[in-house]
Parts: sequence; C-alpha cells; structure tokens
Amino acid sequence: MSERKKLLEIKNLKQYFNEGKPNEVKAVDNVSFDIYKGEVMGLVGESGCGKSTTGRTIIRLYDATGGEVLYDGVNVHGNKSKKELKQFNRKMQMIFQDPYASLNPRLKIADVIAEGIDIHGLAKSKQERMEKVYELLETVGLNKEHANRYPHEFSGGQRQRIGIARALAVQPEFIIADEPISALDVSIQAQVVNLMKKLQHEKGLTYLFIAHDLSMVKYISDRIGVMYFGKIVELAPADELYRNPLHPYTQSLLSAIPAPDPISERTRKRKTYDPATHNYQDNEPVEFREVTPGHFVLCSETEFKQYQAQSKQ
Amino acid sequence: MEKILQIKDLNISFHTFAGEVKAIRGVSFDLFKGETLAIVGESGSGKSVTTKSIMRLLPEHNSEIKGGQVLFDGKDLTKLSDKQMQKIRGKDISMIFQDPMTSLNPTMKIGNQIMEPLIKHQNMSKGAARERAVELLRLVGIPKPEIRVDQYPHQFSGGMRQRVVIAIALACNPKVLIADEPTTALDVTIQAQILELMKDLQKKIDTSIIFITHDLGVVANVADRVAVMYGGKIVEVGTADEIFYNPKHPYTWGLISSMPDMETNDEELYSIPGTPPDLLDPPKGDAFAPRNPYVMKIDLEQEPPFFKVSDTHYAATWLLHPDAPKVEPPEAVKRRQSQFPGVKVGK
Repeated sequence: MSERKKLLEIKNLKQYFNEGKPNEVKAVDNVSFDIYKGEVMGLVGESGCGKSTTGRTIIRLYDATGGEVLYDGVNVHGNKSKKELKQFNRKMQMIFQDPYASLNPRLKIADVIAEGIDIHGLAKSKQERMEKVYELLETVGLNKEHANRYPHEFSGGQRQRIGIARALAVQPEFIIADEPISALDVSIQAQVVNLMKKLQHEKGLTYLFIAHDLSMVKYISDRIGVMYFGKIVELAPADELYRNPLHPYTQSLLSAIPAPDPISERTRKRKTYDPATHNYQDNEPVEFREVTPGHFVLCSETEFKQYQAQSKQ
Repeated sequence: MEKILQIKDLNISFHTFAGEVKAIRGVSFDLFKGETLAIVGESGSGKSVTTKSIMRLLPEHNSEIKGGQVLFDGKDLTKLSDKQMQKIRGKDISMIFQDPMTSLNPTMKIGNQIMEPLIKHQNMSKGAARERAVELLRLVGIPKPEIRVDQYPHQFSGGMRQRVVIAIALACNPKVLIADEPTTALDVTIQAQILELMKDLQKKIDTSIIFITHDLGVVANVADRVAVMYGGKIVEVGTADEIFYNPKHPYTWGLISSMPDMETNDEELYSIPGTPPDLLDPPKGDAFAPRNPYVMKIDLEQEPPFFKVSDTHYAATWLLHPDAPKVEPPEAVKRRQSQFPGVKVGK
C-alpha cells in the first residue's frame, strides 16, 4: 500500500470530568491513535467506556483536559480565534445517535440543512441556497418536496438521512458518526449504512464510526479500536481484529455478540473479562505496543512477547 | 407436545384521531410447553401489541379487540373480567419489559417489589415471602442477596435491575413468560449474561417463553421456534433452523440479508427498500408487495394464505404457490441454505 496520509492525529487525549474532585471521572484516559485520509475508523466498547466522549472531544464539543488533536497537522484544541474555529468546523461534522432529538422541531427541513450554509456564507442568493438544499436532499435519497416539511413528519430512517444531509451541507472532509444507526430498525439500518458507504466513495470522506453493534462496525470499518474504561485496549484492521483478537477484553466482547446463526450459537462459549487476570506489577509499564504491523494492544512487556508468539502461529 | 397458549385469528384496532389503525390483522399461533418462541419484525409490525393483548395490558380507551381468541388453560383471556385477569397476570403469565430503568418502582425497596406477587397470589406471610425474595435474588445471580433485598432500584446497575425484573416475573413460577425486548437496553456483555440466565431458569422451572426482539443474533441464541411479523400479520413461522437456513418469505430474506455476518465483505448490504405499510389503510393484497422485489400481479390483488413448507414451517407468500415462477433468493440467503441441516438445496 502506498504511504497513507494522516488526516487526524490524536495524541494522549485526556478528558476528565469533575477534575480534582473526589468524584473525578477519567472518561478518556491517555488515548492516542491516527485516522488516515479516506478510511473508516470504528470505535467500539460498552456504554460508559468513553467512546462517545472521545468523539465529542475530538470535534471540540468538550475542551480536552490534556493531549492534542492534530487535524492536518494543526491542533484543534488550544487558543483559537473565532474565525479559525469556524474554518475548522467546516471540515469536521458530526452525525448524532438519536434522529428524534437531533433535529430542531421548529425548523423546516430546508432551514435545518441550510443552517451550516448560512453560517459559513456558502450561498450567494436565496435561490442558490435552496438549490443546494435540494441537491443535498437528493444525495441522501429524499426529494425536493421534503424541504418544506417539519421533522415530525419523517420516520427515524428519513430523519437520519436529514442528519446526514445537514452534515454534508458544508462539504466536510471528516465526519464523526456517533451511533448513527442504533436507534433505527434493522431493515432501515442497512439503508443508512449503504448510504454512508456510498457517500464515502463519492466524496472521499473519512469517518470515525462509533457504535456498539460489532457486526455492523466490522462491515463498515477499515480499522477498529476497542475501548474499555477510557482506554483503547486494542486497535487493528477490522478483519485482523476479528480473526486474531489478542486482548482478553476484546475476546470477551467478541464472544458476547450473538450471531444470526443458530448452529454456531448452540456451541458458543462465552468468555468473561476480569482485569485482575493481567496481574500487572506496581511499576510495570503498560503501554500501547504494536504486536504485528498495524495491530496494537495495550499490554506489559511479558504479555507483549506472549502475544507476538501467539500471532506467529 | 402440549399447547400452553393458543392465539386464534386475533384482530386488534386502535382508534386514533386519524382513524382506525388495524394493528393486528388475523394473528394465530400456538405456544408449546417449555419452548421459546421468538417473535421478530420491525417496529410497528405488531409484536408488542400481540403480547400486550395476551396480558390484557392494552389501553382500554382507544384499543379494541375486534375478534379472535387467546386460549389459556381452557379460558379465553379476551373475555375475562378485570378481576379474573388479575389472578392470572403475574401468576400464570408474567412479563419482562424492555427498559429496566423504568419498569421498577423507584420508591419501593427491591425486596418489597418481589414480595408483592408472592403475597398477592400465593397468600404467603410477609416473613416467608421475604425469604423467598432472597432466594429468588440468589437464583438470578445477584451477589449478597440478604443485603440487596433492602436496597432501592437506583442502587442497582442496568443489568442488575433487569435481573430483579426477571426475579419478580419468575416469583410465582409462571407457565408463560413474555419477554418484550428484555436485552435491547443492555450492553452486549450484560446481554449475554441475561440470555444465559433466562435459558438456565427456563430449564429449572420449565416455563414457556415468548421472546420479542428485532435482533436476529439474539433470536438465534434463544429461540426454538421463530415467528416473523409484518404489517400486523405473521408472515412466516418455523423452527429456528428453518427460518435462519431455509427462509421462504421474501421479507424474511430481506431481514436476514440486511444484517452483515462475519462473511459479508465489500458487497453492498441488501436493504429492504421503502417503509412499512400504513395500517390506517392497509394495502389490498400482500402488505409486503410494495417493498417486495419479487412482486407478482396477484400480490397486489389477493392476500396470500399460509403455504406449508414442512410440518413446522409455514410461510404466507404467493411464491410458494405451485404456479409461481421459481425465483432466486439473495446471495446471503443462498449461502445460508447450504448450511441447512439435512436438507437438499434447490431440489
């Protein structure tokens, strides 16, 4: 593969809530990873593991407690003028989980979608603005007539399409999709995922796809990171992660997903994860190490050697 | 096998400002002793309405059972008075709801909530009921039940609360347990624990379970038989193997192929086009016809009856009519057919 361009570098990102107080929560604790241009990076984990917080901190909905997010080499956090932030906001957009709560019920669809266009002054006339809205509606598989309706007139799947149209309105390069399909029915999920995949190819988008449905994540992602208690414990190409999960938490997570396959379900052995099994010594450095090219695991030196031997088999 | 529950030609409508919504349009099925029957389908297909009608939990002011019977123990549940129903509800038939965060009373101690059905239905003394509550908490895998019994719901995590809900539902050893998306609100690892617990308890007390879900992975894990619902009707019913490896209805094909499995790679996911039917004005003929890629002229005119595939497997699609043209199911379904135990493919 040719040298891939890093679009986003996340370095030692920390997001603590109630910092310094007794009820301090380390929602994101020293997380580092890169996102390459044009790829889909999946982020999975249980509720409360910090995957959504990671996404929200990257796009600066929260100010990071520590660490850096470099977008095209420029730090997203740190002092920025309003103008700089605005420029940056055009490049990065977000699609939210709940299509019922993420659209303003008092705005017409045209105004929901055109909000970004207005803020960034992307349309010179009213006519151009509406043309852009129509075009976006068509891109996501809705039609012109929908522009004058209100959000309550749409089904969940259609609303999520509107959410996608809104994100696309400012022609972003990078989209954070925070559980975009969790609230949708199975048959509609496939429609939305296919749409996201199509748009990725047509517009050369890069996604950070946050979800807890692992089979869908595997389908859409090039690489997947597994989060546990604010840390990424394993990161690997999607196929590799499923074929050769190394961290015991990843193994337990994979063993817990029921597959739509009664024969394999009858023989399923479930693994449970107990953090005590690592038996780390007090000063033992537990770091993110590359076991095989592209396959990273959070582990100690001894575990690292063990994983390497395991992967060679 | 012994039939515990029989639903016969059930029709239910809701009266709304927009008109009459025909939510259930002629649903019939049997539940056998000790089995798990999964009901799958999209939201609005009528899964929850069907089961709520068994428990008689539908709102009285706007819902109406237009016809049909729910036979349990020789009685038609749709005809019982409220008082008679109260003797069955929570004792012979009990229910687990989707959201463990809202199905417990936040102002009552866990123990009292478990003791309630025991005192009401089994005339237990308070002391005996409390002992049984501790026992039940232990049974559903809650550590330190003697202490937990005196705690409030907010002191429990989501998974633990769902265990408590299960303990309440099982308190009187019900003959039928209805589980309405019991794991949808939970994380996958917790979901796996709860499913294992339910299967384990089912073996111990030999109850029959109706399991509603839209997650086909969960269905494959728990179900003996599967009923697929669409537009207020059952469109296909069969054993889990028959539904997963030899489905016959194009809607079942669509459901199964729209879920990626571990072998799905770069090919585009199959998605069912369009949206579910409007039950205010159910379409003439087959309700699935407008979304069916294999649609035939007759689908638009006449409702398909159930065609028999095997003794346990029935599907309501005109494609099974002897005069229908042979059609190729989607790739993902064909891949599955080759795994169907003991069956000749493409005979």
